[in-house]
Amino acid sequence: VVAADIRNLADEEVMQLVAEGSPRAFELLYDRHGAAAFSLAYRMVGNRVTAEDVSQEAFLSIWRSRTRYDPSRGSVRTWVLGIVHKRTIDALRRGAVQERRREQFEGVEERQEAPERTDVEAARREEARSVRTALDALPADQRRTIELAYFGGFSHSQIAELLDEPIGTIKGRMRLGLEKLRHQLADFAAGEFA
Amino acid sequence: VTTGDHTTYRDEVGAYLLGALSDAERASFEEHLAGCPECREELERLRPAADLLPRSVEQVEPPASLKRSLMEVVEREAVGAAGGARAPKRRPLAERLRGRWLRPALVPAAILLAIAVGFAAGRLGGDEERTLQATVNPIELPDAGGRLQLEGDGQDGAILRVQGMPSLTSRRVYQAWVERDGMVQPEQTFEVGADGGGAVAVPDDLSDADAVHVTREPRGGSRAPSEQPILTVRL
Repeated sequence: VVAADIRNLADEEVMQLVAEGSPRAFELLYDRHGAAAFSLAYRMVGNRVTAEDVSQEAFLSIWRSRTRYDPSRGSVRTWVLGIVHKRTIDALRRGAVQERRREQFEGVEERQEAPERTDVEAARREEARSVRTALDALPADQRRTIELAYFGGFSHSQIAELLDEPIGTIKGRMRLGLEKLRHQLADFAAGEFA
Repeated sequence: VTTGDHTTYRDEVGAYLLGALSDAERASFEEHLAGCPECREELERLRPAADLLPRSVEQVEPPASLKRSLMEVVEREAVGAAGGARAPKRRPLAERLRGRWLRPALVPAAILLAIAVGFAAGRLGGDEERTLQATVNPIELPDAGGRLQLEGDGQDGAILRVQGMPSLTSRRVYQAWVERDGMVQPEQTFEVGADGGGAVAVPDDLSDADAVHVTREPRGGSRAPSEQPILTVRL
């Protein structure tokens, strides 16, 4: 496959080339999903240096364990973001970014928006807005619990302690919150978010 | 909580999807999941909602250095793989010793006899056996740990056991190092099993050693470490 052709390939096909050890395919994978990966890490750790470290680790682990992508488990983007999420949570749990985490969830965080350059990016920004709207529509305690867990990297027992609630309540809220989110997003989930 | 305690696990589906379980809880949940179609169904039902969460994040521009450094590594490793040779392409030493955690070893590479771990293990187990815990690089090895078992002051060497280590590509191996007065001496290379566990004998006199380190190296081992240690036991 020559370079010009690669850019027209679907993510799943790009992953096949990555599995064969193609740096160009890997570069394309990064070009497509690197910003989303970095943005997720940045949202979680709250500073660019750590976000860069974690993103680099995640992408290198993708490069070095190229075979693990399984199309039956979802899109490449979801898979990449799942790896970044897990890596970042591990870093958070190991105390790499201890101090300012709570502050991040108490107050306003720094926002540095990337410019919208392409239609794809514009569509993704629209998607982000939809998901945020759905999150905002959740009861406040459910939304907060989900955010502390998913973006804060806090375990359910830590959240129970933080919010001074029983662990059972926290677990229930997580499940219920996801349930509601699923309903709200049902329209999107079938199509645009696949 | 037993594997069969379905109600408990069912309540954890949300926490699992959000990454809010501890490692032990997650492992136990996954074990339950393997035998519980109902929980699997619930998980798959709610997964799309969790999968959308990262997409709610406002997009920020990653620094150009991220792509640059990623592609440097990827190009280098791809060249090594394409060559298919036993001598993978290596980075210049100065670059690889970023942060200079050690001065280069003055001791020439030891002739590394393959000493069976079992043999070395047989020599341990005396009255004064000590076990020292390893510290690990949490980014590289989020789930790993290790311990060094040595007898008395370590004159007769030691065994390093590791667990939770990622398996490496076929071109790379783990290698142990012994540090003394800021210099490192290469020790044996080793691999880990599918479960991430492994062991390597360090058959040196460790009584004057400061630490035992582990790095990832090209197959065959290196004379000087290619990276910062990812696992260290201080003596």
